[in-house]
Amino acid sequence: MSRTMFERYGGFGTLSKVVLAFYERMIDSDVTGPYFDGVDMRRLIDHQTQFLSQVMGGPKAYTDEQLERYHAHLAIAPAAFDEAMELLRDTLEDFSFDAPDVEVVMESMGGKRRCIVAPGSTGPGTDRARGDSGGTRRAVP
Amino acid sequence: MSGGRFQELLLASIGVGVAVLDPDTLEVVFHNARLAEWFGIDQGRPVRLSELVPGLDPDRLRDRLARGRAYTGEATGRAGRREIAVALQVTPYARDDGSLLIAEFQNVSKIKELEYAIESYSAMVEKQNRTLQREKERAEKLLLNIMPRKVFEEIQAFGVTAPQRFDEASILMLDFVGFTELSSSRDPAWLVAELNDIFSAFDRIVEQFGCERVKTMGDAYMAVSGVPEPTPDHAQNIAKTALLFRRYIEKRNASRDETWLCRIGIHTGPVVGSIVGIHKYVYDIFGPAVNMASRLEGLADPMEILLSGPMADRIQRDFELEDRGVTSVRGVGETRIFALLREERAVRTTVPGRASARDASGAV
Repeated sequence: MSRTMFERYGGFGTLSKVVLAFYERMIDSDVTGPYFDGVDMRRLIDHQTQFLSQVMGGPKAYTDEQLERYHAHLAIAPAAFDEAMELLRDTLEDFSFDAPDVEVVMESMGGKRRCIVAPGSTGPGTDRARGDSGGTRRAVP
Repeated sequence: MSGGRFQELLLASIGVGVAVLDPDTLEVVFHNARLAEWFGIDQGRPVRLSELVPGLDPDRLRDRLARGRAYTGEATGRAGRREIAVALQVTPYARDDGSLLIAEFQNVSKIKELEYAIESYSAMVEKQNRTLQREKERAEKLLLNIMPRKVFEEIQAFGVTAPQRFDEASILMLDFVGFTELSSSRDPAWLVAELNDIFSAFDRIVEQFGCERVKTMGDAYMAVSGVPEPTPDHAQNIAKTALLFRRYIEKRNASRDETWLCRIGIHTGPVVGSIVGIHKYVYDIFGPAVNMASRLEGLADPMEILLSGPMADRIQRDFELEDRGVTSVRGVGETRIFALLREERAVRTTVPGRASARDASGAV
């Protein structure tokens, strides 16, 4: 059996670095960052670790139904999903992933678009019913 | 630039949050800009350490400091839109005009993030391991249906298993009277359901007496004792199994419309046990003793258990037998055969001497 991308790039050792770098970029981006306002860091990292493990062919955690449930209340705009795709592409390139492998991950993540994106949404708006109770602390102006 | 001004600038620009505390009230009497940024401290409003660090334990803090040790804690702050994990350390700072406390806050988000990633991944791997373990157990269970555990373990350890001779073994063969006719006259699904029900009951009986089911073939059921686990009581175990098989069928017949009639042959002798096949494993036993059990079964009347001379020698002390005389058995020749009637009870009036001896030995 051929080795998965997850194994070829060094398993969890690499995955953890990709997760943290991707997380960093997602929060720093003005497009995706606002979605993470007040969201518990532990949950975020947890979700991203599981998600990236899955798209890299490592241990699987999520079903499409779960992805849908986790993202439904976030009203994620298509543009934000595109941005996240680009950020992940940049991250993988910076970790010297081969172009074909980057494409595989892109395709895998792209395949989850319909579970994550709310088609009509334009951004993190007031229609967002935040289910998280983990971290509601707001940035102080 | 004066020294004081320089120090002030330095304090403002470092990446660590610093506060000076009143040791009695734990009120923040001074803090640098970094701390204000992380915790959103308003200038002019007095703030206590407990507001910044929700999990603060003031008693423990005072106890630690009194013993000349530092107090540590954790808090959550914000840097921009990012939630950050902050580690706190409080140490005493003695001055001429009284003592103060210094609270130092470090941004440990990177460490926390990595910890969370590890937690998350370990949980995933553990979950995967549990799934694999369940799969393994399921596969094991399937294999244990077709071979004895000892043989299975041998295959697991060595990858192969060699045919093994068992000098001390007893074999039971059973089939049903008129099954061939039944299978052409009755619905196959009904037939399979009936056999499944009966054979499942047999499996439990076999297990109860430490025997092994070797295989079933159509309406035939074959069990063995002493293989692959040697036991001195193999003959008794097989005889008890045979009696219980018959009793089960009798009770089943009494409560249902359909009547099943079985024939049973039991015999004792050496056999060879082995896995047959490479991909489609079957554990089977071979030898003249197996044939003999089969012949006896063929000779038995409906609901009768027949056994050979060697078997009778082994079990006649514990079971009531009936001599059926010398009979010609195909492939064996003239041989004396017996019918198994019942297990002998400890108290039997017909043989008082033996019964009392057995009572004295405590055997039942």
